[in-house]
Amino acid sequence: MRILLVEDDSMIGDAIQGALNDASYATDWVKNGLIALAALETHVYDLVLLDLGLPGKDGLDVLDGIRGRNNPVPLLIITARDSLDDRLRGLDGGADDYLLKPFAMAELLARIRAVLRRKGGTAHSRLDNGEVSLDLLSKQASTADNPDVQLSNREFALLQALLIRPGTILSRSELEERIYGWGNEVESNAVEFLIHALRRKLGNHIIKNVRGMGWMVSKNA
Amino acid sequence: MDGFKERLNDSVQVRLSVTLSLAILIVAALAGFFAFFSAINETHEMQDETLRQVAILFDRQKMTLHYPVVEQVAGDDEESRVIVQYLADSTKASGSDDATTPLPFPTGLADGFSTLSVAGENFRVLVRTIASGERIVVAQEADVREKEARKSAWRSLLPFLILFPVLLLVVSDLVRKLFRPIATLSEEIDQRDEQALHPIDENHLPTEIRPFVVAINRLLTRVAQSMETQRRFIADAAHELRSPMTALSLQAERLSAIEMSAAAHQRLLPLTQGIERSRKLIDQLLALATAQSSAERSQGSVSVHDIYRRVLEDLLPLAERRHIDIGVESFEDVQVVGNEVDLLILVRNLVDNAIRYTPVGGRVDLAVEMAGESVILEVKDSGPGISAEEQLLVFDPFYRSLGTDESGSGLGLAIVKAIADRMGARLRLSFSDEKNKSGLCVSVWLKRAR
Repeated sequence: MRILLVEDDSMIGDAIQGALNDASYATDWVKNGLIALAALETHVYDLVLLDLGLPGKDGLDVLDGIRGRNNPVPLLIITARDSLDDRLRGLDGGADDYLLKPFAMAELLARIRAVLRRKGGTAHSRLDNGEVSLDLLSKQASTADNPDVQLSNREFALLQALLIRPGTILSRSELEERIYGWGNEVESNAVEFLIHALRRKLGNHIIKNVRGMGWMVSKNA
Repeated sequence: MDGFKERLNDSVQVRLSVTLSLAILIVAALAGFFAFFSAINETHEMQDETLRQVAILFDRQKMTLHYPVVEQVAGDDEESRVIVQYLADSTKASGSDDATTPLPFPTGLADGFSTLSVAGENFRVLVRTIASGERIVVAQEADVREKEARKSAWRSLLPFLILFPVLLLVVSDLVRKLFRPIATLSEEIDQRDEQALHPIDENHLPTEIRPFVVAINRLLTRVAQSMETQRRFIADAAHELRSPMTALSLQAERLSAIEMSAAAHQRLLPLTQGIERSRKLIDQLLALATAQSSAERSQGSVSVHDIYRRVLEDLLPLAERRHIDIGVESFEDVQVVGNEVDLLILVRNLVDNAIRYTPVGGRVDLAVEMAGESVILEVKDSGPGISAEEQLLVFDPFYRSLGTDESGSGLGLAIVKAIADRMGARLRLSFSDEKNKSGLCVSVWLKRAR
C-alpha cells in the first residue's frame, strides 16, 4: 500500500508519516499542492491524505485538480477547518472522508481502512465493533467468550442493524422496521424478546440499553 | 427648588415648556390688561352716547318737562335711570335726596359732559342748549355706569382665562410629543442586548438629532468591528493551536506504541491526558468564539429527541466510565425552532457538565416538555448542585466551582449562555432535589416549531 501525504506542517507530517510507516504503509510526504499534483502524475498511489491549508495552492484546488484529471484515487481530507461550508465543499469536491484536527492516529488508520474497503469494492462479509463480530453469510456471531454462535433470522437482523453503525442508538421503532418486512404484523415486545435472547447467547454487555432512547453496541475501535 | 433648577438647566424639554408657558403668561397678561381697560373705555363711550341720544331726542321732539310725583313705574330702577331736567330748575330742587327730580345741579355748568357730585351721589352729566334756548341736563348715576363698565371689562377677560390653561396644556403636550422620538430611541437602545450592535434607524428622527445618531452609529460600527476582531483573534488563535496540538498528540500516541518500561508508560499517561485536556480546551474556545460571533445561522425546525440521541451517542462512553445511569425521561418528541448545530452544542455541554460533576454511580436525566408556545429542555443530575450565590458566577468563562477536581475547560456553561442568548432562550438553574438542595437542574426555554 502506497500513500501520498500532502501536509505543510512538518511536525504533523513527521508524526503521520512515522505512524503510517509503523502501520506498514509506504508513505510519500510532500509539502505543497503543486508537488502533490506532479507526484500523482508520475506515481500510482492507493490513497491520498490531503491537508486543506496549503501554501501556494489551496487543498480544495488540489482536490479539483486531482478529480479534474479523472483520477479516482481514494482521498481523505485532514484539516483544521471545521466550518460546515469547508466540509461540504470537500466532500462535494470528491473527497471520500473528512477528518478534523486534532485527531487520534487510531482514528486516522480506521478511516483509511474504511475508505480503502469502500473504494476497493470488496463486499466485506463481516461486521465488527471490537466486542462482537458478525458473519453475514453464515449468520454466526462471535465474542471473546462465545465463538461462533448461530443466530436466528430475526436475531441476526437486529444485531446487523446495530453493527452497521456501532455507537448509534436505534429506537424500538427503528429496530422493528429493520426486523420486519413491509406489511408484516409487528409483535409487541418483540424487540425486547430478541435482545434478551441475544444477551443470553453473547453476554449482557454486548447490547447496551439507553434509557428512554433505544439500544446500541459500543464503538470502541 | 434646587431639583427643579437642575432639571431646568439639564432638560431641553423642561426649559422649552417653562419658557413657552412664561411667554404665554406674559402675552396673556398684557393682552388681558389692554382688553380690560379698552372694554371699560368703550362702555363709558357707549353710555355717554346714550346720554347724548336722549338729549338729541328731547331737542328733536320739542319735548317739555314737568316733574310730577309718581308712583313706581314698572321696570324702573332708581340706580340706573336717566334723568332729564332743565338746568334752570336745579334751584327748585326739593331736597338733598337724589330720588326726586329736579336735582340740584350747579346752574353754571358749561355745555358738554362732566362728572360731578350732586346730592351725595356721583353723576355723569350732559348739558345741552336746545333749540328753544333753554338748557337741559341729561344725567345718570356714575356708580351704575362704572359697575356696568367693569362687568363688561371682566367679561372681555373671560376668553383669556379659558384659553390660557388650554394653551398651556397644548404646549406641554406638543413639547412632549416632539421629544417622544428621543425617548423611544433611548428606550430602544436601552433594551438591546450586548450583541446587538446594528445601526440605529435614523429615518424617522428629527433633523436636529440625526447628526448625533449618525455619530453613535459610527461608534457602534467601530465597536462591532473591534469586537469582531477580538472574536476572530480568539478563533484564529485556537485554530492555529490545533496543528501543533495534533502533532503533539500524534507523537505521544506513537511513543506509547513503542515498547518501554512500565515506569515510562506510567509517566506517559499524564502527558497524554494533559494533551487531551488542552485539545478539549482549544475545541471549547473555538466553540465559544463561534457561539459569540454575530454570523447569521439558518433557523429550522429541530427534533429534540434527535439532538438527545446524538448527544447520548457522543457522551455514553464517558458516562459508562463513570458508571452513570444516563437516559431520557420523556417519551414525546417535540420540534423546536433553532439552529441544529447550536442546539447540539448547547445540549452536549449541559450533559457533559452533568456527567462530570455527578459522583460515580450517579444518575443523569434528560427531559423535554411543552409549556404553551414554549418547550422546556431539562438536564438533571444527582450531583451536588449549584448554590444560589454561585448560580450567577457559573456562566462566566473559566469559572470553576470550588472543591471540584474535575478537569473541565471551565467554558461549558459560558458556551451554553452565549448560544442561549443568541437564540433568545431563557436559562434557569435550580436544584433537581429541591428538598435536600442537591443535584443541578438546568432548564432551557425554547420556541416551539409549528
